[in-house]
Amino acid sequence: MRGGQAGPPERQETHGERVDMTVTDEELVARSIAGDTDSFNQLILRWERPIYALAYRQLGREEDARDVVQDAFLRAFRALPGFKGEAKFSSWLYRITLNLCRDVMRRARRAPFVPTPEGVDIADLAPAESAPAESIDDVVARKDLGRHVARAMSRLPEEQRSAIILKEYHGLTFQEIAELQGCPLSTVKTRLYQGLTVLRRELEGRGTGPSRAESRTP
Amino acid sequence: MNDPRDCGNPDALMSYLYEDGPADERRAFEAHLLACARCAAEVASLRAVREEMAAWAPPETVLDFRIVRDAAPANRRWGWMSAMPAWAQLAAASLVVGVAAGLSGLDIQYGKDGLRVQTGWDRPAESRPGAAVAVAPAAGSEAPWRADLAALKEEMRAEPRQPSAAPETVPVSTASRGGRTMTDEEWLARVRQLIEASETRTQREMALRLAEVVRDIDTQRRADMRRVADGLGVLEGRTGAVTAQQREMMNYLLRVSQR
Repeated sequence: MRGGQAGPPERQETHGERVDMTVTDEELVARSIAGDTDSFNQLILRWERPIYALAYRQLGREEDARDVVQDAFLRAFRALPGFKGEAKFSSWLYRITLNLCRDVMRRARRAPFVPTPEGVDIADLAPAESAPAESIDDVVARKDLGRHVARAMSRLPEEQRSAIILKEYHGLTFQEIAELQGCPLSTVKTRLYQGLTVLRRELEGRGTGPSRAESRTP
Repeated sequence: MNDPRDCGNPDALMSYLYEDGPADERRAFEAHLLACARCAAEVASLRAVREEMAAWAPPETVLDFRIVRDAAPANRRWGWMSAMPAWAQLAAASLVVGVAAGLSGLDIQYGKDGLRVQTGWDRPAESRPGAAVAVAPAAGSEAPWRADLAALKEEMRAEPRQPSAAPETVPVSTASRGGRTMTDEEWLARVRQLIEASETRTQREMALRLAEVVRDIDTQRRADMRRVADGLGVLEGRTGAVTAQQREMMNYLLRVSQR
């Protein structure tokens, strides 16, 4: 997983609440189905960050992403008795989230929102989010690059964008993405390849990408 | 082994780039890269794109969604009530009050003595709400049986005292039966008939009141729905205008920032 998104196995604590990683998702799901609400809350703790990241990258808007997270867990909780465990809980949750994101985009009839590239606020950059060794200049450059990536991603077709996000930031396998998108495995790879190619062109066009001319054959 | 079929093959390239897929396929592509500078450059540039993508992180936010167990499960019995719209609750309440008032023969009067509330069916006929309301407009339809009842009462009082009363002392209603004294069976039948008539009338009144209540509720509901729909339309219009303004502003900012 990339982009600073720690997945559930690495994360131990969220907002002061300890996540018990000794219990598997499947066990927590079984307990939740039996009526144990706390177990479902443990699942929320484990997965709320990745789900938020997925929704944010799909929609590009923090408020919408938070709404989708809440909606996704609520739907999952209501539909839990019907969850047969044929897929992983996380895959099921990703599917719900992607469907909700699609609904939001369809409803709004808009391309994903791209945050306005306004002037960088130094006060925003100072927090502990950055590594101690990272200078302000580096932070500014990273934020700037992040905005360019976001803008380039927003220009991709939805299927390509989803495939890249799921692979790049959530570490799903080609097979899992194919199941989520309901397409053959080779289609997922093609979408990834086409998406990455467009991203490369977009980033180069803005002069942010590292020069690769020397590494290419003429 | 350098397989020329791997050259430019996105399937093999992606499997190699993400280290996801059959191991032999990846090994074959790796061997191909040693011989194909074009594919090696492609892999290097896509790796660079992946590194750049790491810079895109979602903003920090507070996520504190939790499923909360209902604190008062005892109230679930009436929980469905809260899901009903307000107008439906009001309608149900009105219906219950109306039926209860009808069944109890509620009589509310406001006069010189102040407010007076009476219930029950054993009040004098003239003080009953049904009588007070219904006699005036439907005097023609009620007068015969009320007159009959009064005459019957008189007859019953008079009979023990004057067993051989002259025909002219018999009330008008009995005179119409040929002027003869009625037997016990006839009295009984007559009383039953009057009771049945009274019951029928009470039922009719009740049905009429219920129909009125339902009609009033329906009218009120329609009026409320219309008002709500109008309000929503106005809100929608305002929201749309504000959204359009914000979009314009965002587009402007976007254009300015891209210069």
